[in-house]
Amino acid sequence: MIGEVIESRTSEFVAESVEFDQVPAFGSFVKVRDGNRTIYGIVSGAYTGSLDGSGRAKAFFKSMEELQMEQPQIFSLLRTEFSCVIIGYREGDRYCPYYPPAHPRLHLPVEAADEEEILGITRSMGYLNRTLGSPAGDGEELTAAALRNVAYLQDNPREYVLKAGRELLKMLGYDTQRLKNIIERVDVV
Amino acid sequence: MKGTILRGSLSGGFDVRLDIGENIEEIKVGTFCVVQGRRFDFFSMVVDEDIEAANPKALYETVSDNPLVNEIVQGTGILDKVKIQPMIMIDRSDGSVRPVKSIPGHLSPVREAREEDVFRIFGQPDATHFHVGSPLDMEHIPLCIDLEKFIERSNGIFGKSGTGKTFYTRLMLCGMIKSNLCNSLIFDMHSEYGWAARDEDKNRREAKGLKQLFGSKVAIFTLDPESSRLRGVHPDFVVEIPYQAIEAEDIALVWEELNLNSTALESIYVLQKHLGRDWLLSFLKMEVPDIESFAERTGAHTGALQALQRKLMKLERLPFIKENPADDAVKRIMDYLDNGMNVVLEFGHQKSMLAYMLVANILTRRIHELYVKRSEEALGKGGMVNKPLVIVIEEAHKFLSPEVSKQTIFGMIAREMRKNNVTLLVVDQRPSGIDPEVHSQLGTKITALLTEEKDIEAVLCGSNNARMLRNVLASLDTKQQALIIGHAVPMPVVIRVRNYDEEFYREITRPVKPGLGARLKESRNLDDDPEMSAPGREFEELMKELYGE
Repeated sequence: MIGEVIESRTSEFVAESVEFDQVPAFGSFVKVRDGNRTIYGIVSGAYTGSLDGSGRAKAFFKSMEELQMEQPQIFSLLRTEFSCVIIGYREGDRYCPYYPPAHPRLHLPVEAADEEEILGITRSMGYLNRTLGSPAGDGEELTAAALRNVAYLQDNPREYVLKAGRELLKMLGYDTQRLKNIIERVDVV
Repeated sequence: MKGTILRGSLSGGFDVRLDIGENIEEIKVGTFCVVQGRRFDFFSMVVDEDIEAANPKALYETVSDNPLVNEIVQGTGILDKVKIQPMIMIDRSDGSVRPVKSIPGHLSPVREAREEDVFRIFGQPDATHFHVGSPLDMEHIPLCIDLEKFIERSNGIFGKSGTGKTFYTRLMLCGMIKSNLCNSLIFDMHSEYGWAARDEDKNRREAKGLKQLFGSKVAIFTLDPESSRLRGVHPDFVVEIPYQAIEAEDIALVWEELNLNSTALESIYVLQKHLGRDWLLSFLKMEVPDIESFAERTGAHTGALQALQRKLMKLERLPFIKENPADDAVKRIMDYLDNGMNVVLEFGHQKSMLAYMLVANILTRRIHELYVKRSEEALGKGGMVNKPLVIVIEEAHKFLSPEVSKQTIFGMIAREMRKNNVTLLVVDQRPSGIDPEVHSQLGTKITALLTEEKDIEAVLCGSNNARMLRNVLASLDTKQQALIIGHAVPMPVVIRVRNYDEEFYREITRPVKPGLGARLKESRNLDDDPEMSAPGREFEELMKELYGE
């Protein structure tokens, strides 16, 4: 478990991290088990702030080690939450690359998706459409991150990015400049 | 080639988007492909190629440092596009071939044409389907011309000089002679058809002539026995033209060569009217007082007549024009043709346009007359019909230019089509010089590379898709590539013409299976005619008779 759902809607959910300083990587794949349904999402952003959300942390101008020594209590007043875009769900053996019929319930544990699952759900390129239109804002950045994460799991990363790139270009209305922005952040040549 | 239909229209052809990974550089204009529609296969030809961008901005991108980006964009954002023209539609359910009347849907798959597609449309090589070459880039597939259709109408072979017109003509003649569907009479200006001629291919020294290939089926006539002998050719007959055979019309045809103006031409008709059959000889022999008195009688101008006489003196210098020739060339040609032989008339050193046009016109006119008479008789009695005759003329624009085509026998033959079973095979390098009306009557045109806009236009006049074919025509190789359009092929086609080599010799001289020649049911059965003279006998016998052992 890496977090717990604290806010949920059809297109995305927000989870609080188990530890304030542990957050799943941007663009990584996570899952929430909701009954016999597993909902998959991609981490689209993260935030760390004060526990009650009312105030802001104060600056101490000390190193991390000094702070740990002198002011250990301040860390327990922090919390980290991350948001995920929902890209599909699995029910039984079947993966459905679209929104589940109901959004995930609150307080369900969030886990990292394992490699096999990721390879399965990214075989078709539909998820790129979700990352591009990410509600958090920076779709290109998120798409590049997700693609990067998926590409490294592939036997032939280049082949995969090539295929994904072609789909992306269509999704982008054949805007080669935007495609370039994304592909250059994928780190596959 | 693999792709899908991107867009298209019945009139403008289709755009094919090449599949990713296909190399547009390897697809040549003129090659064939098949669009697999839901019910029909659309047999099409590549007529143009270009690059298109789904988003025009993409065209202005520069090469990215990341090769992956370039690779992604290629084929997705930037498309290699091939323009194809549907030519024929094949119903997959029954294999029937029909003209294109509809278009395939968007994204219909496009593939390269295969042997069975080519055979379904052009037929397989047999007695009447002559293998002339193969479609571009499909050298293993024989492509055939339907000879029965070919000889139904007058045809043309065009191309810039040096593109192999002679070679194509010889090839077609081989096909025609072998098929036995028709006889041919060849006015061989440069003495290239009858006996071995220098081959364009430097690797071999000579290309075999028709006589060498077909022996007793071909007779060589010559206007210049000396030249023939020097080249080691044994002519079957030496042609001499009597003065009486030359008519005003013949002179009118060569007005340019004789430098005659329109007044002079009128005088010629006056001369013929008053002096009768022997007009030319009588006129040439006139002394000054004779001319004066003739002028007085007929109201002509003395000076003009004298000038005309001087100009006509040129004819006296042609050695084959004789006062009393030993034999009638036309009769001999007819005898040979009636015996199912093909006649090659060599001009030897007499290759001036004057000699060529004069002789061709005189002989053709009389032969045509005989054919007309015969076919009229045939109509009357419902009996024998002429075996089709194909007359081959070179430098055809001289005979068929708009100025003279209405008067010459050649213009007439071209216009009347196969009515009297006489058709032309015109060979020319300046098709634009030929009367458009004649062009429109030509059934099949075999065209090598043409670069002059006017020539291209002339050749394509009257054919569908002229705009498309223009690109194809201008992009042909200079050697061994030709576009065939018209009656004898179901659709325009670019071919790589087959080699004229040992293999071809072997194939063309292989005897035709019995019964195949019998398809021409209306042909005269000459073997049973005891009155016919003997030119049909074996070549060797003839040689013995002419030149001793």
